[in-house]
Amino acid sequence: MKKIEAIIKPFKLDDVKEALNKIGIQGMTVCEVKGYGRQKGHKEIYRGAEYAVDFIPKIKIEIVIDTDRADQVVETIREAANTGKIGDGKIFVMPVEQALRVRTGETGGDAI
Amino acid sequence: MNNVHQQTARELQQKTQALIARFLKGKEPDFLKQHARLLDDYFRQTFETSMVGPRMDIGKNPYAIIALGGYGREEQCIHSDVDMLFLIKKKVPKEAENLIQEIIYPLWDIGLDVGYATRSLKECLALGGKDFEVLTPMLDARFVCGWSLIYANLLEQLREGIIVKKSRKIINWLVEKNELRHAHFGDSAYLLEPNLKEGQGGLRDYHTMLWIARIAFNAKQSRDLEYLGLLSHEEFQTLNRSIAFIWGVRNRMHHICRRKCDQLHFENQVKLAQSLNYKRINGQQPVERFMGELHGQMEALKQQHLMFLHELGYEKRRKRKRKSQKKSAVDGLEVIKWGMLNFDGPEAIIKNPELLMKIFEESARLKIPLSAEAKRLVKEFSHFADKAFGTSGPVVKSFERILVAPAPKFNVLNEMLNTGFLEKFIPEFHSVHNRIQYDEYHLYPVDKHLLRTVQTVKKFGAAKDSSLEPLCEKIYRKLRRKKLLLWAALLHDIGKGESEEDHSIKGAEIVKAVLKQKGLAPADIETVIFLVQEHLLLIKTATRRDIHDEETAISCARKIKDIERLKMLYLLTVADSIATGPMAWNDWKAALLRDFFLKTVNVLEKGELATARAVEVVAQKKREALRSARNPGEKKKTEALLGVMSPRYLLYMPADEIKKHIKLYRDLATDNSEFIWEIEHTADANTRAVTICAQDRPGLISKIAGVFTLNNIDILDVQAFTWRNNIALDIFKVKPPPDPILEDEKWNRTATNLGAALSEELDLADALRKKVRVYRNTKTGLDKKPHQVTVDNASSSFFTIIEVFTYDFPGLLFNVTDALYRSDLNIWVAKVATKADQVVDVFYVRDVNGQKVDLPGQVSNIKAAIMERLPAS
Repeated sequence: MKKIEAIIKPFKLDDVKEALNKIGIQGMTVCEVKGYGRQKGHKEIYRGAEYAVDFIPKIKIEIVIDTDRADQVVETIREAANTGKIGDGKIFVMPVEQALRVRTGETGGDAI
Repeated sequence: MNNVHQQTARELQQKTQALIARFLKGKEPDFLKQHARLLDDYFRQTFETSMVGPRMDIGKNPYAIIALGGYGREEQCIHSDVDMLFLIKKKVPKEAENLIQEIIYPLWDIGLDVGYATRSLKECLALGGKDFEVLTPMLDARFVCGWSLIYANLLEQLREGIIVKKSRKIINWLVEKNELRHAHFGDSAYLLEPNLKEGQGGLRDYHTMLWIARIAFNAKQSRDLEYLGLLSHEEFQTLNRSIAFIWGVRNRMHHICRRKCDQLHFENQVKLAQSLNYKRINGQQPVERFMGELHGQMEALKQQHLMFLHELGYEKRRKRKRKSQKKSAVDGLEVIKWGMLNFDGPEAIIKNPELLMKIFEESARLKIPLSAEAKRLVKEFSHFADKAFGTSGPVVKSFERILVAPAPKFNVLNEMLNTGFLEKFIPEFHSVHNRIQYDEYHLYPVDKHLLRTVQTVKKFGAAKDSSLEPLCEKIYRKLRRKKLLLWAALLHDIGKGESEEDHSIKGAEIVKAVLKQKGLAPADIETVIFLVQEHLLLIKTATRRDIHDEETAISCARKIKDIERLKMLYLLTVADSIATGPMAWNDWKAALLRDFFLKTVNVLEKGELATARAVEVVAQKKREALRSARNPGEKKKTEALLGVMSPRYLLYMPADEIKKHIKLYRDLATDNSEFIWEIEHTADANTRAVTICAQDRPGLISKIAGVFTLNNIDILDVQAFTWRNNIALDIFKVKPPPDPILEDEKWNRTATNLGAALSEELDLADALRKKVRVYRNTKTGLDKKPHQVTVDNASSSFFTIIEVFTYDFPGLLFNVTDALYRSDLNIWVAKVATKADQVVDVFYVRDVNGQKVDLPGQVSNIKAAIMERLPAS
């Protein structure tokens, strides 16, 4: 199993969700996060006062999936989240040792 | 165990089941009492046939079985505990334990939750005097069977020994405990999963009232609340309706959960609505109607409880500090004891019905609440608040003063809502009263939400509150027409009462009608309508569009058009979100929204791209471009192309030029060359306009400029634009080549050079170095102003604007743009103008990543890079 973590632009969430749905991914965890990378923070000036946006709002999606589907999921997210501009985000893939469904106690692939 | 009693217990179980079945069919309005009666029957029967009982010699040491708590009050819900007291006159004999086993165990066997205490009279008094937790259930004591005199003894001695002596102390304890309970369980009148018993507006509030009445006035039953004059007839009826409703819900919930429970969880709400036979009406789900009514009933109970405590002077004591004696300036109103407002009497209202509104205005002005009596009078005389009243100028003005009155804590509008007066004044409020939206997002019924939004807006204007946006404070203070924003806050969701249509649009229609009746100025009405209709525009755009794309801010700004409106819309959006609940508002959303707001403000303040005129001009140009399409296919393509043209381009480029450019773009697509150009002779024949269309690439402008310089073509001015599909359009105005006869040839050579430069076959820098050396000294001797380069990061949220003031010299544009290119900057817009020999070059640039360049180091590097390429002066 792999865990896929994707940081994307907020307004791309619906597109990504829809694209993942199309390839049969039903579950994911979504959170509102803030940070910066190559797209750095910026300042807005209003009536002489500076309002700094040090951390840019982004969305983080987490999905755990069977290893053989990981590439497909990554590619799907990439396509859907891509605007070609800076700040489109990043995708991380990491191994998952075990998964367990709390209600039934099922483990491994059955639990995801 | 005793088989006889087990049989009796089983009979009790069957009878209870039958009773419940009748109740669920709605045929047992008196369920609680009947349920308690069945238990009574059981105790009486088992007592009569008891084997242990006779052995205890009731004559010598009398005893009685007494019901306590809810069972004592005959308010026995399906799975409520059964609280019992075995009261014995003297010392508790050993046999008592056996009696209990005999009578209580069979009840446990059928699954009843029976709690019991075996105490002597003396023990009861000692415990009750020490521990009020033990005392309160005894306040509800009711004789079931046994020796009745001893029950009378208990009541009498409790009253004389404890209650009379410590009444104030017990009541204070009750009130305090109640407050702690409310703090813990929250305000049920608002909560998504209210606690029917312990929350504010829950049954405990009613119990507390009853206990206080018992302690202070020796009330025996709930209807004594009315007989003793503690509640008016009307209030007592309302109270009974509320608790009957809550009991009904609680009973059904017990039935569904199959156990005692008081918290109304989400998963049970739908089932309960079904069980209570709610139907879908006007687009409102059964569960929403059910929860709406429940909240309403709990709110009524809560209000009754608060008023009860307040009138009897049992509120928490710190609140009762004598206010400095404020005086009402209005005839017919007076400030009564404890600093509350009241009418001079009912006659005052009859003489002057406007007082009904005035009293709220005074309340807001003096920051003191209405007395219970005043609220009563408002309700009873609310029929005066008819249509003529609601549209009368002075009344509306008075209401508007309430609306704008600062109200950091004390909110008069809440009182107006709770007394039903707000609904009288704005009848349209009726449709959103207690209107629930069944989800985890909308925490409050619509009417409460509207008032919370108003309150939040007002908080922006109050003293510093670190939980709020400092920017909002700043904007609110400077806002010119606060009144309009507050009207919008009060009415923004008014359309939610009306079925499933878009509530913003529906709301705008309602607002139009309401405010017209209230006699507001047409321009003001327009503004409020706009705010209501667009109250989701900012939050939707900020979360669903790319706010780092200038186009997003521009299209939003064009829709809003006016900076004052944008500010109001922003404040409304923030207040609306905060008032909705924690799911709708957090730091993350705040950051997103603020960023987008500031970008949009910027666009509007700079004005050029978003004025009404600009909107009209752009729309007209688009129409014109579309008109010249020859067939539907071409029209579609043109439409797509118009969509990617940048706003500045569309605004500044004449329509005829746009049409030409579209043609150039099509030629470029079919021609497959590096660039396409068109050379036009201007009217006076002294200049040429060269329009170049090419795939944008870093350094495009500098290469074109360089090639012109190489061919001795003087550049007079330049406009450069980049479309969003990465097509660059550069329009150069130049002096024609010196030799008119060979002009075409010259252009051909230039074109060849440009092609070579773009495909990197020609080293332009090298070629120019040789050439420019020849020129260098051609212009000398004149007094030159020093060159000036400014880097402006404040004027646009999306571009760094670089301005170069210098004098003309051959190769100037190439040098400056080449410096930008070598600093890794992309030119998105360029305006170059030459007047005499003074040149002003303006460039809108971003770095290769598409971001502004605003670090101090970057700024000074850019300046230095440009200065280096300008000739020493």
